[in-house]
Amino acid sequence: MGKYSEDPAWADIVPLPTDEGGPNPLAAIAYSDEYGEAMSYLRAVMASNEFSPRVLELTDDLIDMNPAHYTVWLYRAQCIFELKYPLEDELAWLNETALAHQKNYQIWHHRNTIVDKLGKWQGEAEFVEQMFELDAKNYHVWSHRQWLVKRFGLWEEGELEFTERMLEKDVRNNSAWNHRWYIVNGREAEGVRGVTHEGIRMREIEFARKAIAKAPQNASPWSYLRGIVRKSGMPLASLKELVLQYADTSKPDGVKSSHALDLLADVLAEGADGKQQASEALDLLSTKYDPIRKNYWEYRKGLLGGGSSASTATAA
Amino acid sequence: MSLAAGPGRGGGASAAQLPDELQLVVDKHVAYIQSLDTRRDELEYHLTEHLRISGIYWGLTALHLLGQPEALPREGLLDFVFSCLHENGGFGAAPGHDPHMLYTCSSVQILAMTDGFSDLEKRLPNGKMKIAKYIASLQQPNGTFAGDVWGETDSRFLFCGFLALSLLGMLPNQRPNEPPIIDLTAATDHIKACQNFDGAFGVAPGAESHSGQVYTCIGALTLAGELDSYLGEEGKDRLGAWLSERQLPSGGLNGRPEKLVDVCYSWWVMTSMAMIDRVHWIDQKKLTSFILQCQDPDHGGLADRPGDMVDVFHTCFGIAGLSLLRYPGLVEVDPAYCMPKPLVDNFLGRK
Ligand SMILES: [Zn+2]
Repeated sequence: MGKYSEDPAWADIVPLPTDEGGPNPLAAIAYSDEYGEAMSYLRAVMASNEFSPRVLELTDDLIDMNPAHYTVWLYRAQCIFELKYPLEDELAWLNETALAHQKNYQIWHHRNTIVDKLGKWQGEAEFVEQMFELDAKNYHVWSHRQWLVKRFGLWEEGELEFTERMLEKDVRNNSAWNHRWYIVNGREAEGVRGVTHEGIRMREIEFARKAIAKAPQNASPWSYLRGIVRKSGMPLASLKELVLQYADTSKPDGVKSSHALDLLADVLAEGADGKQQASEALDLLSTKYDPIRKNYWEYRKGLLGGGSSASTATAA
Repeated sequence: MSLAAGPGRGGGASAAQLPDELQLVVDKHVAYIQSLDTRRDELEYHLTEHLRISGIYWGLTALHLLGQPEALPREGLLDFVFSCLHENGGFGAAPGHDPHMLYTCSSVQILAMTDGFSDLEKRLPNGKMKIAKYIASLQQPNGTFAGDVWGETDSRFLFCGFLALSLLGMLPNQRPNEPPIIDLTAATDHIKACQNFDGAFGVAPGAESHSGQVYTCIGALTLAGELDSYLGEEGKDRLGAWLSERQLPSGGLNGRPEKLVDVCYSWWVMTSMAMIDRVHWIDQKKLTSFILQCQDPDHGGLADRPGDMVDVFHTCFGIAGLSLLRYPGLVEVDPAYCMPKPLVDNFLGRK
């Protein structure tokens, strides 16, 4: 006997067993665990379109056992709206559920829907930061954060400082770098300039420069710098001094960052007589610092010849 | 088709002493996939019901690539697929589950691989058009696609929509003389807006680049016939550089910077590189060896990485990856469709 079949509150419901297997089931389903029982009650209430507090409890139970079941989420959302259930209460429930099921993503769409209807963002940023303490690279949580920023116009509500906090904890967190790019450059369509504005560009280059000093072999700030060069159209040569601190073809054993060497090749190739040196930088990558991508570096070397600038390959 | 993990582990019981020259244990993988339907007494079988039809697609694709397309009974497959079909033309993951884009796509792929469209017509007159209209109904005003009536959007849903429509012959670029059932330009504009400063793509405009999303975005541009005109050689070089950086010293590929390698990401990265003609930028020998180390040589199946439990999802993408790497004896995989290429060619009338 199970939890639901013994509960008087559910006595009026005839549970519906699964019909999995189609018209000709290959095997009879004979499992009678808690989950199977709860599902059979859900099928029954869905068949009669019941929306009630007990259905909310049932979906709570099922989501706790199996948060990836999208049909249960959908039915719960319908139920919330049919019952005009207090959205704040639903958010409080979601907080617990999200912390218990970090890898689940259905929950984030449900959260979007509730927060959107509620029209209030207070408390959301704090909750998201709490989630990041468990997994600072959770893709769905970052997506939710971006949605919040856009939906409620939170661009200048401490988001830059938030990315600084996240990168202070882990300078290699590429998700935080991406979010920073979004906050700085995400309002172009509304006419708010990002790194195309000189002051902002200088600030962001300085930010990346400091991060590189902490961990030269971290790809994210190098990629961020390339993004700035590309978006703003600033001359690549202006990064030469920075790059040479971490990679110099005249000191082939002292290269501190393959990413610097990669960028150096582009900086050199742009110069009138730097092709030979650029080729040396690419040779170092191909043979010593990143040999797993040998064919890629050889391709880049190929771009140096034939008069076309290698910078078109990756940077400019 | 059970989606439960195990019973075996990648690398098998003796993962520490694997020989250098690993072989793909074809017969064991076939037997592993065949055994999955007999595991209905396990709780995890039921906990993964919300993915069931995709599980069948993964198992069937792996069998096709292994050269054993008949290893699952066709009638049983079709019965199951049709038991997931709703009146509105959408498919759920299992009977009684709501229709969803992901499972509609998997169902159409299974129908294509089992030559089941005439069966569809018998069960649901004008079925192809009904499925196409269901997919079209999920397109949003900004061009992207929702997964279901719930409204969640993801570039993955857009790609699945394109893929299924393409197999149904209903993409606007496939039928230029008919009124289009979706707004192709709005959809591809949305995909382009998902491209980031690093040259790769995320799940939505502004979202971090992710190799799974690169696959869906590049796949969608390929199916729309806009890949070359949009990216050009320069864009392919930038994207290819980002993708090739996903290879780590173990030979496996990861999904984002500073994340773990995984067989499924290896597929998504590599197939994207295949679509932009840059697979040779990674070390293919090392990747082949990494994927082979993820198989259970004793009981079949592949895991996400050596030492972990095998499952049908990683079995499919591991074998698809080996096929793309031209592993001897495997049927060639089509990079965009993740289905056997000869079958897709035949289906679409490509030479
Ligand atoms: Zn995986």
